Amino acid sequence: MIEYLIDGPLWYFALVVFCIGVLWQLASIVFARSKTDLSVARGSATGGAWRNVFSRFVPHHEIAPQIRIQVVAGYLFHLGLFALLFFAAPHVLFLEENLLGFGWTPMPHWAFIVSAQFAFLGLIMLWLRRVVNPVSRLISTLDDHVAAILTFVVMLTGCFALLEGSTALRLLHRFTVEIWLIYFPFSTLMHTFTFLPSRAFTGAWFGRRGIDA
Amino acid sequence: MVYFLQEYFFNCFTRSASIILLSLSLLLPQLSNAAIPQKHEDFPQGVSAINPGSELWREVRQRDSAVTGISQVKGVETGVLINSRGGQWARFRIENPVKYAPMVLGVVFLVLVLFYVLRGKVGIEGGLSGQMVKRFTEYECIVHWTLAIVFLFLAVTGLILLVGRPLLIPLFGKEIFSLIASASKEGHNLFGPIFLVSLLMMLFSFVKRNIYEKGDLAWLLKGGGFIGDGHVSGGFFNMGEKTWYWIVILIGLVISISGLVLVSPNFGQGRLVMEISHLVHVFGAIILTAISIGHMYMGSIGTEGSLEGMKSGYVDINWVEAHHDRWAKECHENEMVISAEEYARLQGSKPDTAMEKEA
Ligand code: HEM
Repeated sequence: MIEYLIDGPLWYFALVVFCIGVLWQLASIVFARSKTDLSVARGSATGGAWRNVFSRFVPHHEIAPQIRIQVVAGYLFHLGLFALLFFAAPHVLFLEENLLGFGWTPMPHWAFIVSAQFAFLGLIMLWLRRVVNPVSRLISTLDDHVAAILTFVVMLTGCFALLEGSTALRLLHRFTVEIWLIYFPFSTLMHTFTFLPSRAFTGAWFGRRGIDA
Repeated sequence: MVYFLQEYFFNCFTRSASIILLSLSLLLPQLSNAAIPQKHEDFPQGVSAINPGSELWREVRQRDSAVTGISQVKGVETGVLINSRGGQWARFRIENPVKYAPMVLGVVFLVLVLFYVLRGKVGIEGGLSGQMVKRFTEYECIVHWTLAIVFLFLAVTGLILLVGRPLLIPLFGKEIFSLIASASKEGHNLFGPIFLVSLLMMLFSFVKRNIYEKGDLAWLLKGGGFIGDGHVSGGFFNMGEKTWYWIVILIGLVISISGLVLVSPNFGQGRLVMEISHLVHVFGAIILTAISIGHMYMGSIGTEGSLEGMKSGYVDINWVEAHHDRWAKECHENEMVISAEEYARLQGSKPDTAMEKEA
């Protein structure tokens, strides 16, 4: 019964909530009315947008020393998670069989494990930094903590199911993934989709005003 | 333990001649039939004769005879038909670490409970002042808690693997335990290398202040404050903390390296290396876990004002005077002490709440 629920209706429900929720959020940003900028353009908005999208991958040299932990742990976590999400053999197979109908060459098992280790280390350090640093602690909302802990739990149940020998452990992982998918559109996890548009938006604004930042 | 290791080495080095094990095993059924002692009506007590089957088995098991097997299969110890030492190792594991680990950890726990009941929290003369000194950087706090989280995860999953069978099967039954054990094994293997990385971060960021110096001996002679009038001299870290640091680093490295040997059996290490690594790993882990319980106690409910240092990076100046008087002098000389208001501002809270929390 539980197996049927997790592999069937709950999975489709989570997918629908995730897709509609993400599209809804993105649409609400795209269609949000912003005031028309009446100032005379001093530079190219498009150029500014592109510049900002890429320049923000590297921290500004003036603040780099203060945020070194976030930068290193942030890259460890995000690259590790990206690699294991889209290139681990069980995930590639899952995407092929359940969603896409096609697959690609997965990474070797050892690379999967190393990616997971990077992701775990990065996430633990990022969350600790959030609670240890007084400013981060102050500006963190409940959502930030729930998003981090939920992601950690999904990764942990995935790690528990690594042997791929038990239906119960696989179901546990899939169940946490479903909860995560349902939570995603209503949380800061949305930054997965919004970080590039938001950089572009700020960059365009800067570019038009001739701000070099 | 010494006898056990001697046996290991003896078994390894005496195997020098070679016999093809396969042919032995083919011969085995015939010979072992002949070896069954036959009772005869004329000899009601039976006949005493050397059992040829036992000789054969001794050869097959490569016990104390000079035999090395040959096999077409290329690989480490593929010529071993029956690994007799494996049984010895398994028995040793069940009779020692599996049996004693819960006892050791239980005793440490009980001693601490007793200590807390009898002595209570180690307080600070005159209480907390509210004036604070920066003790650890943000990075140092993060490194400490990363190490602690990963260590605790490994300790729990490791103990499940070690003593889960006798302790958890009666509670949850075999099926649920098999899930817990499988999950623990995967989790333990994946988090092991993360422990090594956080251990190295701890090594590099804390090493300078943990080198032993002259005044540390006095701390030891006074039993860390438990012998004599109770006031002991200490620098930035006192002798006890430095010793804890080196225990974590050294035993942590031993556990990590032996763990890597166990988790990657495809690098050519044989059974002997694996078995010894396993025992070193288990004993190191039990010792470190037992001492870490003491550390966790001292760092939290055992000592007034300690935890704040690892939470915010700041400690109360009275705490510094009580436990690290030589460093306290430095703090005063370098004007490192900040007021309660300044501390509260830096932490983003009101001064009285910070003080109340501590009290
Ligand atoms: C909840 C559990 C823990 C608490 C409450 C705790 C608390 C503390 C505190 C307050 C300090 C600073 C002491 C000072 O200011 O002098 C400290 C230092 C330290 N802790 Fe922990 N700790 C915990 C777990 C662990 C674990 C599991 C490990 C490693 C296995 C660990 C390793 C260390 C090390 C190496 C130091 C530095 C000691 C030195 O450099 O001399 N801690 N801990």
